Amino acid sequence: MERNFECNTFGRRLKSMLKVDLRRMFTSLLIYILVASCLVMPIVITVMVEMMEGTTPIDQQTGLPGEPIKGFDSAWQIIGSVSGGDAMGGMGSTSGEAGDQMAEMSMDITSMCNINMLYFLIAVPVCLFVSDDFRSGYAKNLFTVRAKKTDYVISKTIVCFIGGALMILAFFIGSLLGGVISGLPFDMVGFNAGELVMCIISKVLLVSVFVPIYLVVSVAAKQRAWLSLLLSFGVGMFLFMMIPMMTPLNASVMNVILCLAGGVMFGAGLGAVSNLVLKKTALV
Amino acid sequence: MNAIEIRNLTKTFGPKVAVNGLDMTVPEGAIYGFIGENGSGKSTTEKIICGLIHASSGSVRLYGRDHTDGDVRARVGVLIEAPGCFPGMTVWNNMLIQAANLGIENPEEEIIKVLKTVRMEGAAGNKYKNCSLGMKQRIGIAMALLGNPVLLVLDEPINGLDADGMRIMREVLCDLAENHGVTIVISSHILGELEKIATHYGIIRGGKMIREMTADELEASCRTYVALKTQDMNRTRYLLGCKYSRVEEDEAGYIRVYDLTTPEQIVTYLYENNLLVSEILTDKISLEEYYIDLMKEGR
Repeated sequence: MERNFECNTFGRRLKSMLKVDLRRMFTSLLIYILVASCLVMPIVITVMVEMMEGTTPIDQQTGLPGEPIKGFDSAWQIIGSVSGGDAMGGMGSTSGEAGDQMAEMSMDITSMCNINMLYFLIAVPVCLFVSDDFRSGYAKNLFTVRAKKTDYVISKTIVCFIGGALMILAFFIGSLLGGVISGLPFDMVGFNAGELVMCIISKVLLVSVFVPIYLVVSVAAKQRAWLSLLLSFGVGMFLFMMIPMMTPLNASVMNVILCLAGGVMFGAGLGAVSNLVLKKTALV
Repeated sequence: MNAIEIRNLTKTFGPKVAVNGLDMTVPEGAIYGFIGENGSGKSTTEKIICGLIHASSGSVRLYGRDHTDGDVRARVGVLIEAPGCFPGMTVWNNMLIQAANLGIENPEEEIIKVLKTVRMEGAAGNKYKNCSLGMKQRIGIAMALLGNPVLLVLDEPINGLDADGMRIMREVLCDLAENHGVTIVISSHILGELEKIATHYGIIRGGKMIREMTADELEASCRTYVALKTQDMNRTRYLLGCKYSRVEEDEAGYIRVYDLTTPEQIVTYLYENNLLVSEILTDKISLEEYYIDLMKEGR
């Protein structure tokens, strides 16, 4: 007599897996530490830069005084910079005066210590989350009862995106608090409130471009967290330059659409690669 | 219907052939003792059955379906090497996670049931990392039992268990097979324990199945022997060696005569040669001895 096996639909499978992954993420101390760090980091950066503003560092080799340290001009500077405009909303171009300013700022401490560095930090929860699955044997349990690797990849992408988005939002809130504490002006020069909202949405959506990259690296490295972190930082570096271009302070709907499209494209493309890696390699 | 049907399964790791054209049939409801030396391909076969590694060639069917079928796989319970638990979480939370993976709605009742089955209900609040090896093995079984599995694949589940733990495990597995119709594939090096529960055996060597049989067939093929002791063991061995074709001395110092004979015939024969038998018994060789003999034959 043939046995009947209950058919698990995709929706049901994904729901239960998301439940597990969300539960795991929000019961782990790591995510709270990272979100808290993202909240505190901009406050510390803003306060320290403002304290150091105007001081002249001495060059250790020549003994000569260097350029005086320049502080933030506005509280929004730690979130991003205004991009030079063209038809594409400055996405692919940094031409003109604003572009020159941007190039000049690239060597500045204020342009290095901003929200964009978070896209590297997002690699930490992704890599540790995935490596923990393989190290603990959870992946073994999971893939024994679940043949579909796609469920795992989709669930991890969504949950890590949520984690990354929380980090970005925490940094944004921290930036506001830092601005208030340091007494920085909140003047919106070259952008308006609507564009700022678009900028934040773009930045959040941009997380979905980075998460699939870190995920594919992590599933390939499996339990070797050090390897996945190293590779993630390396691969993330290639995309680092596009962050200010994709998410300027004066972002438009186009920026949001582009970030969303990038997220979908990377999510689907690299998700398929992650799926293939899981299918073709040993899981224990 | 067969719970597992494996045909011509091969798995290579680079130049190394781990499983070499293996055929295996596990009937539904059986407790299948999967025996083999270290590196013989047992764990590799089990991992292929569970979908954790991919076969190079051959077919694996579970209840008539391909082993990659998600619906049948959701009803397979597994304990391979160690249970996959998060060390910092409690036993209860680990069970909750596995229950959610299986899509069990309101899992609390089922978790309590499976923990009771393995006599671990008192340890639900313990952190997994603080559990002893025996407790971890039982937690692994409990996790494998979630979701009402029809097939259990257990790799060395009684390793590290004390005598009481082994007894509990034996009772649990027999109950699952007899009363719940669960098919169990169990690999173990503790053949004495396996012999007490297995209804079928598969013996693997060098990645190939060299023998598959039921417990009754094993019983029939395990030869009877007469074991004895006398006051002059050297002379006894010499005299018995002249008359019978296979005479050996065992680890306990008894001389064993494997030929079809009765104790009376041996006692009479030795008495006629002025040797008095101080101890004599008849027995059958154990699974362990049968297995060792079988392994010797292949070398």
